[in-house]
Amino acid sequence: MMQGDVDVQGAQGAPVEVQVGGKKMTVLSEAHADQLRRIARTIGREPFTKRAWAELLYFLLSALLTAVSIAFIGVTMFLGIVLAITFLGIIIIAASLRGSRGLGGFHRALARSFLDEHIEEPDSFVARPGFFGWLQSALRDRTAWRAMAYCVLKVPLTIFGVWFALSIWIDSLSCFLYALFGSGAPRPGEFGILVNVFQPGFLSVGSAGFFHHLFVLVTGVVLLFVAPWAMRLVIFIDRWLMRGLLSPDAMTMRVRSLEQARAQTVDSSAATLRRIERDLHDGTQAQLVTLAMRLGQAKEKLARGGDVDLDQVRQLVDQAHQGAKEAIVDLRDLARGIHPPALDVGLEGALATLAARSTVPTEVTVTVYDRPTPAIEAIAYFCVAELLANVAQHAHASKATVTCVEHGQWLRVVVRDDGQGGARPSQVGSASSGLAGLTERVRAVDGRLDIMSPTGGPTVVAVDLPLHA
Amino acid sequence: MTTTDAIRVAIAEDSAILRDGLVQLLVDRGFEITDAVSDPEGLRAAVDRDPPDVAVVDIRMPPSFTDEGLRAAMDLRKQRPELGILLFSQYVETRYAAELLADGAAGIGYLLKDRVADVSDFVEALVRVASGGTALDPEVVTQLLGASRRSDSLSGLSPREREVLALMAEGRSNAAIATTLVISEGAVEKHVANIFTKLDLPVSQSDHRRVLAVLRFLES
Repeated sequence: MMQGDVDVQGAQGAPVEVQVGGKKMTVLSEAHADQLRRIARTIGREPFTKRAWAELLYFLLSALLTAVSIAFIGVTMFLGIVLAITFLGIIIIAASLRGSRGLGGFHRALARSFLDEHIEEPDSFVARPGFFGWLQSALRDRTAWRAMAYCVLKVPLTIFGVWFALSIWIDSLSCFLYALFGSGAPRPGEFGILVNVFQPGFLSVGSAGFFHHLFVLVTGVVLLFVAPWAMRLVIFIDRWLMRGLLSPDAMTMRVRSLEQARAQTVDSSAATLRRIERDLHDGTQAQLVTLAMRLGQAKEKLARGGDVDLDQVRQLVDQAHQGAKEAIVDLRDLARGIHPPALDVGLEGALATLAARSTVPTEVTVTVYDRPTPAIEAIAYFCVAELLANVAQHAHASKATVTCVEHGQWLRVVVRDDGQGGARPSQVGSASSGLAGLTERVRAVDGRLDIMSPTGGPTVVAVDLPLHA
Repeated sequence: MTTTDAIRVAIAEDSAILRDGLVQLLVDRGFEITDAVSDPEGLRAAVDRDPPDVAVVDIRMPPSFTDEGLRAAMDLRKQRPELGILLFSQYVETRYAAELLADGAAGIGYLLKDRVADVSDFVEALVRVASGGTALDPEVVTQLLGASRRSDSLSGLSPREREVLALMAEGRSNAAIATTLVISEGAVEKHVANIFTKLDLPVSQSDHRRVLAVLRFLES
């Protein structure tokens, strides 16, 4: 994983202004020249970056740790296997596994402090009750077996690293020493890959004199610039191994993410129920109580007989009538919030209804052949509803488009407006709390929601949902 | 009907539509509204500024919509024992009733919001609370009767006596019970005496003491 200046900047260098027909080439080549300059600069600085030295240090320390690890694993596993026919052997193997798990932790810590490589911690070891429970759990501990595999594989990698990368550092250093201290210093010998690339003893060619010293010095400088990249390749393989073997395994990760998603779903459905209850309590029920109260008042006035103030009664009935109509509208809105009836005819019709109701002129295109499951349709619908409401309230847009297309097993819903942009999901406020809620809802079905809203607009929100969840 | 000219009411209810309706209704019935507010803070301020005879308080109010109204009402009661409190709720929670009545039943009411539909009953309950009486929602009483572990003693009562007991628990006076059941006050008094003997309760003159005795019995 090359995370240096090169790729990040390079990615910014090229696109954007490329659209104008004839000028295309010049724009591109300028961008390329820029990119090349950056690459040159990166290579030039590399031996003097903190990262190059951190990696060298990491390699040396982890080589030590690997030596300790393999010594431990070698001895314990050897003993364990030799004694396997006795019960003691099994115990030794279990202990070896527990130890490997710990060693894996050390390797992770080393990578974290020197490489800034944050490998997720696997779940901690949980033993079943009793000694045999412990034994069984230890022997079946996948994390420990994988950590052991890492320690074992790290041995050839370390040997490769010494031969391929560390040797270049050492050769570079010895070249400098020779050039600086002259003939007093021992002649530089070549190690590792250099011996194979050049003939052995090529640094001794010419054996003495100013030009020989200069030649050795230049070689040292060249090697100095090569060494960090060779080391980076070794570290790259190591990172890849660590991610594969020292992180929680795929099954655990999946379980973890499912657990998270489930907790979120439970939370959000509890929150939805609470919202509905609140709406019923504060809206409809209060309206009905007031309505009953007004009718009660009117009834008592009429029942009292004599000179009834008809105007007053009429006013009460009028208010009650008005209240009843409002309650009906509120109840309908509430029901629509729980399950939009328009969805019964399909997403296209439902979205068209939404668009027609929006205050910003909205165009809807739906190209879906495989009808998504109802839950997905509902989420898509609520996303569009919320997003269009945001467009109407915050974007100051003159028009909006909603597109809904199928992408393999995915449903992609895009809402675009030509408003002022600047929508952020993290902001605290009316629009954003809605966006955060949507993100949660979408994530609950393993979908994703992306917002592109530069200040000045336009705003594009893309929602990807699995067709069948 | 009792004269209501002098009764001063503060209202705390977060639903604007119901709050306005209540104000209109009570003004129409000759009550004086000192203030109508939408949250517990507003209620505290309103009571401090212009102390009413009775406060009508919604149990669920902002910010958390749980039992803010109840908490505010209990606090106010501690500062002003003479202040009548009529709690107003969408649901009956027996726990709230028990909490409310822990320090005595004088000037305490607990009604379902639905009760405002029967305007006269509601007004009567409000007047009762304002003048130091008790008004418990029939629903509360039903729940207490249903949940009571004294069902063996209760089963010794005649159906009519059970009706009288329930009305007593609501906080009604003998006269009111007589009107509701369409019997003479003398008959009510006889029933009450029977109930107290059968349940072995201390006889008490004032209505709210009577309520408390009955409730303690039901809860024990």
